Amino acid sequence: MKLVFKTIRETVRDNIRTPWGIWLAVLSGFLFVALVAGLSVFWFGLSITNLTDLVPWGLWITIDLSSIAVSAGAFSLCAGVYLFGLKRYAPIARTATFVGLIGYTMAMLALILDIGRPDRFWKSLVYWNTHSLLWEVTMCVMLYLTVLLFETMPILASFEWLRKKYPRIAEKMESVHHYAPVLAIIGLGLSSLHQSSLGAVYGVIKARPIWYKPEMAVLFMFSAIVGGIALTLLASMLSARLTPKAKVNDMLVERVAQFLGYMMIGYLYFRLWDWLAQTYTYEPGRTEAFELLTKGTLSFNFWFGEIIFGALLPTFLLLYKPTRLSPLWRMLALAMIVGGVVAFRFDTNLVGFLTVISYLPGKAMISYTHYTPSFVEWASGLGIIAYGLLAFSIGVKYLRVVDHRITSEEHETVTVSAGETVQA
Amino acid sequence: MMENNISRRDFIKLSAVGLAVAAGVRTITKVEASEGAKGEHQWAMVIDQSKCTGCDQCNLVCHAHNDINPDLEWNKVLNAGEIDGKIVYLPRPCMQCEHAPCVEVCPVGASYYRDDGIVMMDYDKCIGCRYCMVACPYDARSFNWEAFTGENPAVPEWGEPEVERRPRGVPEKCSFCYNRIDRGMAVGLVPGVDAEATPACCVACPTGARAFGDLNDPNSNVSQILRQHPSYRLRENLGTNPRVYYLPVTENRVVEG
Repeated sequence: MKLVFKTIRETVRDNIRTPWGIWLAVLSGFLFVALVAGLSVFWFGLSITNLTDLVPWGLWITIDLSSIAVSAGAFSLCAGVYLFGLKRYAPIARTATFVGLIGYTMAMLALILDIGRPDRFWKSLVYWNTHSLLWEVTMCVMLYLTVLLFETMPILASFEWLRKKYPRIAEKMESVHHYAPVLAIIGLGLSSLHQSSLGAVYGVIKARPIWYKPEMAVLFMFSAIVGGIALTLLASMLSARLTPKAKVNDMLVERVAQFLGYMMIGYLYFRLWDWLAQTYTYEPGRTEAFELLTKGTLSFNFWFGEIIFGALLPTFLLLYKPTRLSPLWRMLALAMIVGGVVAFRFDTNLVGFLTVISYLPGKAMISYTHYTPSFVEWASGLGIIAYGLLAFSIGVKYLRVVDHRITSEEHETVTVSAGETVQA
Repeated sequence: MMENNISRRDFIKLSAVGLAVAAGVRTITKVEASEGAKGEHQWAMVIDQSKCTGCDQCNLVCHAHNDINPDLEWNKVLNAGEIDGKIVYLPRPCMQCEHAPCVEVCPVGASYYRDDGIVMMDYDKCIGCRYCMVACPYDARSFNWEAFTGENPAVPEWGEPEVERRPRGVPEKCSFCYNRIDRGMAVGLVPGVDAEATPACCVACPTGARAFGDLNDPNSNVSQILRQHPSYRLRENLGTNPRVYYLPVTENRVVEG
């Protein structure tokens, strides 16, 4: 026993001064605080949060929605690679798949904190109300998480320890990549369903006019795809700068970034029509909620988080060649897109709750309420993000999650070898 | 009763077949159920705002009979403004909507319709996601943010608990005192006529501002009142079709009691 402690102590001492050690230490710190916060939520209940009957969904739902949204790179890039035949982008799809798996498990963690009866989580799989969008989302997310597990099998198989100790299992896991096109089709179907349904979860709520619109589903779907691709590219580029374990082919990244720029134009187009449709005529509740976004407490988030830095500026940076070619500007633009999607989810969720519509007759009394996440919500929420970063870092270090040289291994039909220049 | 016309054996056979079919067409039956099944009775409540004095006694008996945490409310009594210098009150139970948004959004079917129109909560099935609270246009649901463990301050002064206390982590709401209706009808009482079979709030109201009865019965007091007086329901534009009707305060209708 003493020896074990000694080994641990020595390993820590050897690593603590390296950047990797410091990074792990920081993340562990967040995870430890989150563990305490999470356990106290389970022990004391949701009363220790700042959630109320008026604002029953808060920061955790934002984390849940955002981590699912930024996981959308997995299905969109896999569809591009395996269905549309853009095989040279396979290594980026590999990264996206791993990001997706992390994102969905993050969402699961946020949900288990958020529901009032975490002990009854299984009931959502057993008892079905097929009329409920949340039922559809639950089913799709569970099934898609399974698909993602299969899709990441070949990645997990590249773990050195597993290869050495259980080569046959590793080989079996590796061989799952033969089914990549089939998995991509299933993944595309399931993701298209639930990414948009997450928007429809809000879109069908007639009681809250700011949400009650069909374009909620379209906006959630569109923003998820841009956010997902942006995070995948950003994570790849950042890893390549920080560790020699990650290798990116900048030309591939740059091409996808340009495509992302055009996607952003499409996203802005939908946001423009959404905006016009909401300002055109007065609608009790909707207009007041929209004013909360554009002039009220959420206006900073809306204008800077969602529109200017979240969409307009990064679109320009990705479409203007000199800034797109500069890795720094490109990374900045990608980070802003991810931030924009998170801000969109945060604002969309809150605006419907903060605008309280009276049901009293005769007058359209509309008042505003407020919500600030409690320390427990922040601590556990940041812990979930820390878990995501930790999982990705481990993936980069041990599973070659970001390695654009492994094109040929990943899919047999591609004949590009490591040294060859890829034709863009 | 249907069982009287068929033998026990047939009933069991039918049940077995029914179960098998139900398992197969579960999806279809679920969708139909969400349209709001129509049973023999359709319970409704009529609240006369000209009689309501805002005394809050309905709320207190509600807390006692349903064993509700004092921090939570099933039957909020709201100040709805003034007419001729007098405050107008609006007591708000669950509207028991025919097209209830809470039932439609619940992912596990913990909120469901009874044949008599009452919107029920299965507190054992609920996972506490709070989507029903998000969807309810009337703010009729209160969440158990913490466990209600202490003594109920409304007991015994305002009545004795008739239903089980809800656990931490689920939302709860008014049930039209379905337990009183069921127990009363089982011994041949008529809800809305006999106090034992009528929601506690309607029985307790000192000014008789609340009437309860069957909309399917043209002679029930709610049917008669609704025929004789103009009434309204809350947020009718949403199409939820609430079963709680309000008689508004007008200049001709003098405040009594």
